[in-house]
Amino acid sequence: MTPPAPPAPAAPPAAVPAPAGRVRRVVWWPVRRWLGRVQRVTRRVASAAYARWRRSIQVRVVTSTLFISAIVVAILGFFLMQQITTALMDGKTKAALAQLDEGLGSLQRDVGVSNDSGDRLRSAANGLKSRSGPSGLYEVYVRDTTQIYIDGYATNELRAQSVPQRLRDELRSGTTGTRAYTYGKLSYIGHRPSERGLIVAGKTSHYEVYYLFPLTQEQHTLTIVSRSLAGVGIVLVLLLAAIASLVTRQVVIPVRLAAQGAQRLAAGRLDERMRVRGEDDLARLARSFNDMAANLQEKIRELEDLSQVQRQFVSDVSHELRTPLTTIRIAGDLLYENRDTFDDPAVGRSAELLQSQLERFESLLADLLEISRHDAGAATLDAESLDMRDLVLRTVGDVQGLAERKGSKVVLQLPGEPCMAEVDRRRVERILRNLLVNAVEHGEGEDIVVSVAADRDAVAVTVRDHGVGLKPGEGQMVFDRFWRADPARARTTGGTGLGLSISKEDAQLHGGWLQAWGESGQGSQFRLSLPRAAGAELRGSPLPLVPPGAGGARPLFAELEAGD
Amino acid sequence: MRRCLEGPVRWWEGALKGPTAMIAAAALTLGASGCAAMPGGGRVTSVKAQERSEQVDESYVRLIPVAPQNDWSAKEVVSGFLAASASFDDDHKVAKEYLANPTGWHPGPRPSVAVFADRPDLQIIGKSDTQVIVRLTGTQLGTITSDGQYTAFQKAVSVDYQVTRNPQHQWRISALPDALGQTMLLNKSDVEQVFRTFNLYYFSPDKHTLVPNGVFLPLVSREDLPQRLVQAVISGPTAWLRGAVWSAFPRGTKLNGLSLDKDVATVDLSKEAATGNINQMSAQLAWSLGPLSEVKQWRLRIEGRGVVTPDGKNDVQTFADWQTNSPDGPTNDDHRAYTIGAAGHLSTLNLNNYIPMPVVTNAPGRMVRPAVSPDQHEAVGLSPDQKQLLVADLTSNGVPHVLRTAKDPEGRFTPPCWDRQGTLWTVETSPGKSMLWKRERGKPLKPVWHWGLDGREIYALQVARDGVRVAVIAKIEDGRKQVQLGRIAGSGDRIDAGSFVPVSSELAETDDLSWRDYNTLAVLGRKTLDTQVLPYLMPVDGSAVTSLGVGSLGEPQSIAAVPGGPVLIGTKSSSQRLVCHQSAFRDRDSEWVCSVAGSDPTYAY
Repeated sequence: MTPPAPPAPAAPPAAVPAPAGRVRRVVWWPVRRWLGRVQRVTRRVASAAYARWRRSIQVRVVTSTLFISAIVVAILGFFLMQQITTALMDGKTKAALAQLDEGLGSLQRDVGVSNDSGDRLRSAANGLKSRSGPSGLYEVYVRDTTQIYIDGYATNELRAQSVPQRLRDELRSGTTGTRAYTYGKLSYIGHRPSERGLIVAGKTSHYEVYYLFPLTQEQHTLTIVSRSLAGVGIVLVLLLAAIASLVTRQVVIPVRLAAQGAQRLAAGRLDERMRVRGEDDLARLARSFNDMAANLQEKIRELEDLSQVQRQFVSDVSHELRTPLTTIRIAGDLLYENRDTFDDPAVGRSAELLQSQLERFESLLADLLEISRHDAGAATLDAESLDMRDLVLRTVGDVQGLAERKGSKVVLQLPGEPCMAEVDRRRVERILRNLLVNAVEHGEGEDIVVSVAADRDAVAVTVRDHGVGLKPGEGQMVFDRFWRADPARARTTGGTGLGLSISKEDAQLHGGWLQAWGESGQGSQFRLSLPRAAGAELRGSPLPLVPPGAGGARPLFAELEAGD
Repeated sequence: MRRCLEGPVRWWEGALKGPTAMIAAAALTLGASGCAAMPGGGRVTSVKAQERSEQVDESYVRLIPVAPQNDWSAKEVVSGFLAASASFDDDHKVAKEYLANPTGWHPGPRPSVAVFADRPDLQIIGKSDTQVIVRLTGTQLGTITSDGQYTAFQKAVSVDYQVTRNPQHQWRISALPDALGQTMLLNKSDVEQVFRTFNLYYFSPDKHTLVPNGVFLPLVSREDLPQRLVQAVISGPTAWLRGAVWSAFPRGTKLNGLSLDKDVATVDLSKEAATGNINQMSAQLAWSLGPLSEVKQWRLRIEGRGVVTPDGKNDVQTFADWQTNSPDGPTNDDHRAYTIGAAGHLSTLNLNNYIPMPVVTNAPGRMVRPAVSPDQHEAVGLSPDQKQLLVADLTSNGVPHVLRTAKDPEGRFTPPCWDRQGTLWTVETSPGKSMLWKRERGKPLKPVWHWGLDGREIYALQVARDGVRVAVIAKIEDGRKQVQLGRIAGSGDRIDAGSFVPVSSELAETDDLSWRDYNTLAVLGRKTLDTQVLPYLMPVDGSAVTSLGVGSLGEPQSIAAVPGGPVLIGTKSSSQRLVCHQSAFRDRDSEWVCSVAGSDPTYAY
């Protein structure tokens, strides 16, 4: 899971009197080390988090709940803030317009419609402002549009630029009684910072009155509201995550138990069952799981029984066939011996045929018996310490005749010293004979090389032919029962089709390997590797599966493929 | 159908199991109970009243000028310039746009101003297409110098503005009138709008009592008002008080900066201040900054280093620390009032029960308008015909003897007054002429070296408690009796009492006066010539005159006032002379009570 930690940085050369140029490095060193540590920790945390995310439904559910509810709460909060702001501004605007109406009324009273004296307007502005009270709730800007040289009168530090041009234009184009409002930035002379504000304006005859309300109080209120909303939202999201965690926990624990049960079941403990509690969905799941487990157990038992019956049947049939076969054999021998006495040469030929097929039938029967013994697990190892070279020599001697007939020469490569191993003589001879017969039969008359080698733990024998070889994938298939390289080939020569299967079973009985290598046109090689001590585990072979000088990367792959 | 319903019901049951159900229920309850609703009941909450802001805190109105338009004529440009001059924003930024050469005009934050009655007339002289002269004619009411002193000086003025057309074909003022220099023209209402009066405080020659110096400062922005006030204090008194008062700030002292943190101001002075007397500088600053409500406390620094004043306290000062430097002098509630009793004897007047007790029993009726010396050893008064100045030794129950007799057959003396040092002041006056006499303690009566009102008839003279300012009632050109304020400068034999300026034009005539406190005169006068004489309070800084008390007073003759004590008025009705006081003197509008038989009330220091 965790990536291997990068090699720890070497200790800084602090003790060494550093030249001036290195001082910087020494100074930077702890920083870099610290950075590296942070990076490592971050990476570790990230990968741990990712692993948890992948492994735990609970983490996934809680994370998604957090994420989704945060989005929902954010959207809700946004709309809520919008609503509150609108409501607040509506109230403020209403109050401001009422103030404007009052101001316009008092302006009309104070300056009259026809008066255009600047001083009166000035005092009117003062009067309007003095109505704001001590808290300074608003500023006023009064204009007399007939004045040429004076733009207007502003109260306190207010700058005339606070009144946006768009509002002036609106009022200029309007008639008496026009009222309008907008939002803008109130700026002041001196160091007072500008602030957002609501600006309401009204017009009566040629006077324009602007009331400018700083929105600091509203801003303050909104800040408080938004802060509380954010707080509530965070609490809500966390609460939702906690709920999700709690709820998923209730679901996930039974699921985990079920997973555990399934694992044990898969491991072969067919008696494993889940505890059923209550009658909710999870209880139903447990019950179904238990039902499934019971069914599986039953089916597996049935299948085992069936296979047992079949193996028994094959064994029984083989045994039962033996007795009549013996009788037939005696009769067949008699006929064969007297084949020359028959007048009709066709009858003599039939007797010969009968004789050969009987032999084949006998060996087939023997193989069947042998393999059924293996299947039933009844095969036993009769191990004794033997020199593999003797075994090889004896077997080669047996096959010498057949090889000469085929035109092949058997070349032996035997080590000088004995290759002792604890093996079952009968079985190993059978393996070697099978291999040699196979090699002769598929050797196309070429030389057959038999090599023997041994090391501390194992002995190995390889049989190399230079025949047609094997096609890719056939390296494994050769050991299948009744498998033939060329199905069209007549089953005239030897081979019951079970020889290699039995050989493989024999090798496995020894705890050894029987492997095949082959390539089209390059011939093939079979290797038998056996542990020196009976029952010891085999770790490697003293001989290569692929003959030296043949093949490239592919055969190596075949070895891997063939290795059990 | 049943099956259809069963599904959702089951789902509900499933969903509302365990904690989910509990939380849902809690949320519902909260939602129901926490519905936003305005309170419709509840307990009563008492709230403290907000502190009322003071006068300077009140809002002000600023004129917003317009920049010159492209199509304006030369005359319009000059009109616009005059109007824009009244806007002090951003160092007269807009007004400078009217000038062809804006760098040549520096009105600064405290410009000198020529005050006009209203918008002056403009007239174009010359017919050139590129350059004309715009002649301005009008009546000037007075001037405000750059140090803030207003001097009333009415005259007709005619000045010329040279207006030229610039390459963009716009008229711009190319030359301001030479006669005005940097002075700007403002009309009266502009001045009233822009300028505010403030008192700067300086020390009287005794270096302990402060003397207020009223100045006109432009109220450009409330923010830098404290700064400007401190700068004005440091820069020294106006020409009116120069020579009469003393400033604790060493020459060359500058204000490095003034910052305001909540209501604590930090005044940072330049290093020259280090040689000054910290306490005295602090007192001056404290009293000058006092009226600003935004400054409640303050600390003094010199070149950034804090100084600790008054001794032993921390570096944050309050205005209460400097009450002993009040222009009213040390105040206590032990006011010593005197009056001429019903029998004509000088008597003390107990201010608790208003019963007169004679202090001298000799020679009744010989002395009117008495004034008792601060040590209460002497009483000075006038003979009933006011032609003789009398003095009586109170320690020996003495008979008054004549100090001086008026030379002129029509001559007489104003009621004498003492100042804190025990100097006696009085004016010998006759129609069209007057002379100020002074008698220092233990010295003979002598005329002062310079008397600024020697060509006018004087009706009353009262030296303020700070010993520097003098309030007089003088007859002016149109025959009215007007209150004027002057100052006494110099020392020894070279005493200069002059620089008299009118205090207020609200009262048509005044008969008598007395200092109520350092900023207020209690006067007897009338608003118009055909109304009755009534007592008024007249602030010397030019603010509005207010009436004092209600109820009938008969014919008020004399008035006496003291800081923190009742105003006493001597009245005459057909039958008798009475001394009146207010039923509750701390309430300005309380009723006059005339119960004490007597006349000519006065206070001794």
